[in-house]
Amino acid sequence: MKPFGDIVISALIPKAYRFEFRLAMRHLLSGGLQTILTISAVATGVIIVVFITSLIFGLQNMMSVLLTESIPHVTVQVEDPKPKPIEDPNNPTSSRIEVSASRLKFIDNWDEVVTMLRGLPNVSDVAAVVSGQGFASKGANPIGVTVVGADPELLDVITPITRDLVSGRYKSLSSDEIVIDTELAKDLNVTVGERIRLTSSSNQADSFTVAGIYNRGQGRGSAYVTLRNAQSLFGLGTSVNIVYLKVHDIYAVDDLSNSIMALTKYEARPWTRDYSRNLTNMQMMGISAYLISAFSLIASAFAIASVLIVSVLQKSAQIGILKSMGARQSQISTVFVFQGLGVAIIGSSVGAVVGTAIAYLLSLPTRPAVAGQEPLALFPVKIIPLYIGLAMLAAIITTVIAAVLPARRAAKLNPVDVMR
Amino acid sequence: MASTTSTPITEVIPIGDPPIVIETRGLKKTYFGKIDVPVLFGLDIEIRAREFLAIVGQSGSGKSTLLNILGALDVPTAGTVLVNGVDISTLDEDGLARLRSDEVGFIFQAHYLLDEFTCLENALMPITIRHGEASDEDRERVLKLLERVGLGDQINKHPDEMSGGQNQRCAIVRALANQPKIVLADEPTGNLDSRSGAEVFEMMREMNRLSGVAFVMITHDDRLAQAADRILLIEDGNIVEITNDEHKKKVDRLTPVKELA
Ligand SMILES: Nc1ncnc2c1ncn2[C@@H]1O[C@H](COP(=O)(O)OP(=O)(O)OP(=O)(O)O)[C@@H](O)[C@H]1O
Ligand SMILES: [Mg+2]
Repeated sequence: MKPFGDIVISALIPKAYRFEFRLAMRHLLSGGLQTILTISAVATGVIIVVFITSLIFGLQNMMSVLLTESIPHVTVQVEDPKPKPIEDPNNPTSSRIEVSASRLKFIDNWDEVVTMLRGLPNVSDVAAVVSGQGFASKGANPIGVTVVGADPELLDVITPITRDLVSGRYKSLSSDEIVIDTELAKDLNVTVGERIRLTSSSNQADSFTVAGIYNRGQGRGSAYVTLRNAQSLFGLGTSVNIVYLKVHDIYAVDDLSNSIMALTKYEARPWTRDYSRNLTNMQMMGISAYLISAFSLIASAFAIASVLIVSVLQKSAQIGILKSMGARQSQISTVFVFQGLGVAIIGSSVGAVVGTAIAYLLSLPTRPAVAGQEPLALFPVKIIPLYIGLAMLAAIITTVIAAVLPARRAAKLNPVDVMR
Repeated sequence: MASTTSTPITEVIPIGDPPIVIETRGLKKTYFGKIDVPVLFGLDIEIRAREFLAIVGQSGSGKSTLLNILGALDVPTAGTVLVNGVDISTLDEDGLARLRSDEVGFIFQAHYLLDEFTCLENALMPITIRHGEASDEDRERVLKLLERVGLGDQINKHPDEMSGGQNQRCAIVRALANQPKIVLADEPTGNLDSRSGAEVFEMMREMNRLSGVAFVMITHDDRLAQAADRILLIEDGNIVEITNDEHKKKVDRLTPVKELA
């Protein structure tokens, strides 16, 4: 009658490693507190890695979502950086008035370009836009404003406006209607239904009824009109001067921009170019996540190495007798590597489960919801299965590396010295 | 070697003269350190199959040193050791491990059974080390040996659940597990009271008679030494006395060699 454990070992472990495997497992089983402590060291390392990566990459993800959900991901226009289509929150002065009366450079075959762009991989939405600088006025004091004209349905997907409306509407915008932000409404002292006057940089002027007022909470925003109104304001006929794109993968915009520039004669500007500082910050967050992960794994590797060294010392007489029975050096070191591997596999599994559980529990509480918006998680945790797997793998590799030194030490022990 | 004649390679072993298992020529050992300690001054020893040899001598005379060298656990400073005709200085680390596994069995003063394993698992350990797993035949054979040394009802106990004498008897079986040519025992009864010491010695003697495996036993117990076939006294780094020689020859001729189990 073979014990159950033997049957399992016979089924799973190649014959050449059964002695080493069995001895390593017995060491772990009889190790008691020592075994529990090393497993805890690995588990703690993995918990930290899973938790930190979920939190930091979750934060990163939230930041990039918040950053990119209201802006076009790629802007296609005639090669000329002016006029800046959207406000840079890091640089509020960018909404200053462009005092040039020159005509906007237009995209002549824009419907062809739009059709072509719609067919590109990664592109989710495309909107043809007329955008330029102008002055808004009610009575006296004109105030500089960026005027954006586009199909409301399309633009609402790319730079959400309806979502941020404080009053009025945007979607069914009709001719001679305008949507402005709260700042401008305050400066002009107007509310929905009142009329304001717009003068474009091409010195065309028109009157508009305020259809809606929005608040995006970040400096001065654009004024939205219909495409047709904008075309006539800037004297573009039936042309547009900008095409906005929304993509699926916000980090793959550089390649997309390059291929657009290769396919058209226009400049394609990815969002990353205007937000490079935010992007660098997010990359630093990512790097700090990797650093914290690496150091916590190294710390647990030291713990494991020291416990294994103690284990080798405790077992030195045993190692001596095993060698006198014919155990080879490689067999002895394999025993301790297996011991480390056992600790690593159990510890990293425990760590993955506990770490994921902590990350999940942290993802549950939400901030008090802002009216009209979805409640945000208090901790923007993002559990990434790939990173959990990588954390386990990294923990297993570092643990095995940590086991190598004690294992070699054990293998080199001289039986005559250790059995006095 | 170039041989021009057609000499048959077969070695002719004279009847009644069992083959040499271990042979030393000019074996010297000095421990080098702050002070060099010369221990063995050039020993020529022959140990033959089936014999039971006792090594005696004062504490510190070099008995353990000699035994460790015979079992390839230690290396001599000069001279050669031949195990089964093979000069062990020609073996690499793995070759030495194989020699310790297949040709030699060790018994020490402490039993050195592994606490984590049962008596049976401990007794099977040399086979497990060598082959990864004991075959059913190995298991049967070792079980019979355990029964013969009176441990038939103890096989599932761990060392800390057995007496010193029981543990040492288990260690004897372990030394025999891989069917070695020779068992080297360094004061195997040294930790035991005289009764269990005598029992352990009897077990070894019986194994020696039944299986024909040679035994070399270091002992401080004169009565046990007298019960050996031959006594080797180490004094001042030399072998100064070999007694019981006539007795040994008699035993060789009279003792029938049976294979165990
Ligand atoms: N590793 C070593 N380094 C230096 N000297 C050693 C070493 N091992 C043994 N010796 C010395 O060699 C001599 C022989 O030691 P050995 O252990 O062989 O004696 P022994 O005959 O087995 O003694 P005992 O009967 O006490 O076991 C002793 O003087 C001992 O101090
Ligand atoms: Mg000794």
